[in-house]
Amino acid sequence: MSIKRSIVLRVRIAYLAMLLFAGSAIYQILNVQFRDGEKWKARGQEIGFKYQQVKATRGNIYSDNSSLLATSLPFYRVALDPSIADDQTFAKGLDSLATNLSKFFGDRPASYYKRSINNSRQAGRKYLLLNSRDINYQDKKLISTWPILREGQMKGGAIFEKIDKRFNPFSYLGFRTIGNIDEEQNRGLVGLEYSFNTQLAGKNGEALFQKIAGGSWKPAYSGTEIAPRHGWDIETTIDVNLQDVAESALLKALKEHNADYGSLVLMEVQTGEIKAISNLSKNPEGNYWERYNYAVASQGSTEPGSTFKLASMIALLEDSNISPNDTIDTGNGEYQFYNLTMKDHKPGGFGKITIQEVFEKSSNIGIAKLVTSHFGSNPEKFIRYIEKMGLTKPLGFQIIGEGYPYIKTPSDSTWTGVSLPWMSHGYELKLTPLHMLSLYNAVANNGKMIQPIIVKSVKNVDRTVEQYEARVINKSICSEKTLKTIKTMLEGVVERGTAQNISGGHYKIAGKTGTAKKLKNGRYVNEYYTSFAGYFPADKPKYSCIVVIDNPKRYRIYGSDVAAPVFKEIADKIYAVDLELHEPFTAQASMENQGFPLIRSGNGRELQKICDVLGVPYQSNPNVEWARTKIEDNVIRWSENDVDNIWAPNVEGMTLRDAIFLLENKGLNVKVNGFGRVTKQSIRPGLKFNRGDEILIELS
Amino acid sequence: MKLQRQGQDLDWITILLYLSLIFLGWLNIYAAVYSEDVLHGIFDLSTDSGKQLVFIGVSFLIIIGILTLDFKFYDSFAYLIYGLFIGFLIAVLVFGKEIAGSKSWFQIAGFGFQPSEFAKFATVLALAKFLGEGNRKLNDLKNQIRAFVLFLVPMVLTMFQGDWGTATVYCVLIIVLYREGISPLYILIGLLGIAIVVMTLLINQTFLIISIIVIILLLISINPKNMKRAAVIVLAGLVGLGVVRSVDFIMTEVLKPHQQNRIMSMVNPNIDPLGIGWNVTQSKIAIGSGGIFGKGFLEGTQTKFDFVPAQSTDFIFCTVGEEQGWLGSIILIILFSSLILRVISVAERQKSRFARSYGYGAASIIFFHFMVNIGMTIGLFPVIGIPLPFFSYGGSSLISFTLLLFTLLKLDSHRTQVLERL
Repeated sequence: MSIKRSIVLRVRIAYLAMLLFAGSAIYQILNVQFRDGEKWKARGQEIGFKYQQVKATRGNIYSDNSSLLATSLPFYRVALDPSIADDQTFAKGLDSLATNLSKFFGDRPASYYKRSINNSRQAGRKYLLLNSRDINYQDKKLISTWPILREGQMKGGAIFEKIDKRFNPFSYLGFRTIGNIDEEQNRGLVGLEYSFNTQLAGKNGEALFQKIAGGSWKPAYSGTEIAPRHGWDIETTIDVNLQDVAESALLKALKEHNADYGSLVLMEVQTGEIKAISNLSKNPEGNYWERYNYAVASQGSTEPGSTFKLASMIALLEDSNISPNDTIDTGNGEYQFYNLTMKDHKPGGFGKITIQEVFEKSSNIGIAKLVTSHFGSNPEKFIRYIEKMGLTKPLGFQIIGEGYPYIKTPSDSTWTGVSLPWMSHGYELKLTPLHMLSLYNAVANNGKMIQPIIVKSVKNVDRTVEQYEARVINKSICSEKTLKTIKTMLEGVVERGTAQNISGGHYKIAGKTGTAKKLKNGRYVNEYYTSFAGYFPADKPKYSCIVVIDNPKRYRIYGSDVAAPVFKEIADKIYAVDLELHEPFTAQASMENQGFPLIRSGNGRELQKICDVLGVPYQSNPNVEWARTKIEDNVIRWSENDVDNIWAPNVEGMTLRDAIFLLENKGLNVKVNGFGRVTKQSIRPGLKFNRGDEILIELS
Repeated sequence: MKLQRQGQDLDWITILLYLSLIFLGWLNIYAAVYSEDVLHGIFDLSTDSGKQLVFIGVSFLIIIGILTLDFKFYDSFAYLIYGLFIGFLIAVLVFGKEIAGSKSWFQIAGFGFQPSEFAKFATVLALAKFLGEGNRKLNDLKNQIRAFVLFLVPMVLTMFQGDWGTATVYCVLIIVLYREGISPLYILIGLLGIAIVVMTLLINQTFLIISIIVIILLLISINPKNMKRAAVIVLAGLVGLGVVRSVDFIMTEVLKPHQQNRIMSMVNPNIDPLGIGWNVTQSKIAIGSGGIFGKGFLEGTQTKFDFVPAQSTDFIFCTVGEEQGWLGSIILIILFSSLILRVISVAERQKSRFARSYGYGAASIIFFHFMVNIGMTIGLFPVIGIPLPFFSYGGSSLISFTLLLFTLLKLDSHRTQVLERL
């Protein structure tokens, strides 16, 4: 009886224990889900996941014919989470991985890599940077095949962090205008990179990262990530060829005259597009390089000197009915305005000359006397004409940091009796070269003054996002009559006047020289700011251009001797190659006649797509990443362009972008010359090279 | 003919509970490994859910095998089966493959086979056989020792494999002995020991030692003249002090760091929520974010991001908690409780001591797994890596529990044919 009772009791206890636990489990779940539910939910968001940035790739900067001026190339940082791989994979792969790393980076022995990976694993570390050197895409592909790393991120712990490096294919060309960036921040610092940073930078995305023990993060699956919006490309108006021509001409002159800096802007008359812009200044070592944008920015805004006489003359012609043939006595070359003596550059003076000659020979006294006699009683009127010519307000140029023009008005406290005569020949006021050029451009453009532009459009791949057109500042800065007269005067400067040294040739140049004394510490010293502004061909202007050379130090100090020849050199070269400026030549024999586009090599898939779109026949698929083409029996045959070895790849026939991508990825330092397609490479295909070697590719 | 008759005798309630559990388990395994990025079907053999389906298929074959075999087979071959699996447990120490710190797997044709899972079944069978033989009296110390040895051998061997979780399961077989008449003192001593150990971890040691000494003195002072009683009290007290002193030693010297961590984080999961207490914290976050109705099937975020470790095996309950909420968890607990209570009542209706002990063994093992597994995911118990029966992903686990349960059902279906009575 007692045994039976004891058994019943024991069975009941067994049931009870069961129910007790079930009850406490339910109670605990209640606790977790309701009493502490909010806490756990918050904890989950707080410690578990975090949205982290996924960097957007910066857009490219293109020239007007789609040559690359700046691009971002992907590089990678190789790291390892040594705790991920399982024991077997780790033990089996470690030696081989260490040997590979040692061989590849060549800086430390395999034993070092083995030790550091092993130690990190023992210490339970979650992140080990394998080498501080960034590797390129090709190397990344190679390294991901190595033991342990080939298991991927989740199983092997391989971590490849992408870093974009900015690369300017035409390294020095227009460097300051294109600008540079802070690579870490993907932020432009100066130039177009800065001014168009919003468009170029794109928008970083976000992706969910999961915290893992040890305080590191790994990407987590999620449907909620925001893909980065990659940067848009900007298409500039820069013509790589003209830029090259302009820059070398300027450099040559700067060296010849041992000048401090030089600046040059070449602009297309009708569109206002800047085709070339160059700023070279001397560094302490005596070399010239792009350091400051004098053409546009505030430091470049100075007293222009005689080039400003164009504005004075327009004002005179507009306000009076003087004729170029009227005469004026300029005297013996010295003339007293109040307490100041004005001089002409010809010793003994020009005497009695026509107004046309005043302009051509650049007589300071002549223009000053004319301006004071017409506007002396009403200087505001003179200023109003300057204003009408758009010279009192900044241009609103696309590059941020434009220098402000400084034009005095009679109400200013600094205005004195000599202000007007001195302003008339380009003193007591400040203008940037770009601003001055836009006035000359307006004359060339039949009086229509437009704002210069350097960025034509912003593109998202093929789609144009924004398009820019030159804003009209003033439809007509002066009357037809004035325009006609002033054009004759500008032509006269080159034909008979101060810039006679650049006359001659198949076409005419119109322009004006300028030689300004420099103001230093409040006194004018014997240092000069020389310039030449004008346009060509004079009878049907296509380009306007300004050349500024600051402080030439070798005997020649006049704009006519220093700046004008640079103008001439550029104009000659452009005239020689620009087909639009000539009678049409007979069409050159082109590949088109044979029915095949001029593509000889490139990315296989892209080439195939092009052929598909254009309906060009080809044989089978180019199942290779980089392909070369050969035309046989009227179809294209593909062959593999072998790029995976340690020999220099053949980039001939490729576009610049493909060539740079390939060569830079192989560790070569690419220098570029010309534009178009690659015709020559300085390291011949198949030759061995060392990482970091320089390769010059010529395009045409 | 024979099967048909058996069918009438089979306990269909248990079978229904079993089928619901494996079906729900399978769905939750799919949810645990589900990812929107890589869409695999629930049947995809490269995923856990696909493989589990295969294991379910194998289990069904094994059920047919169990029901076909003669019911006397288990009684007759109990010791042989036990010997065979003890052999496997030794062999796995030599030839086994080490996975996650435990050397408890045989790798055969791409599938892992874990003899320690099956050894539980074999031990229950052998213990039942031992108790059934000639009505052994369990108040006999010799019988007590023999019974203990029967389950201590596989327990120690499993410990050698490094699988402490599975090893602790054998402790629960003391319930079988309790039911069959062993003194409850053993259980009390065991529980007291656990209490002292936990207190050692929680309370300042010096304070604990002083308390024990004070309790000894108090107990003796109640009746100081009874020397025999006083001696027993002093002896027990010394053992208690020994436990207190040795806990520290065991914690730092014997246990592996991850085991120390598990125990410490159980005592206080907030010590280091990203390191030691990671599992429990994540598990609680998952369950805690479920609410009453849960986030819905395949909608769990904690689950989807592989947050909780061993999501489809040991921590499968998180998936239920997160996606099915409190309601789903309760239903699961009710299903399990019903199954265990049903198994106990099935055991109680057995006429032979062998079958009854076996039934109790099965019930207690399922109960222990259920209790510890769910207990650890909700922070009631330290993280001991044992699966949720019928529910967690894993072939060895599912098949061995099927074996355990259906052997009982087979024995149960023949209970009327047994004449022997207690």
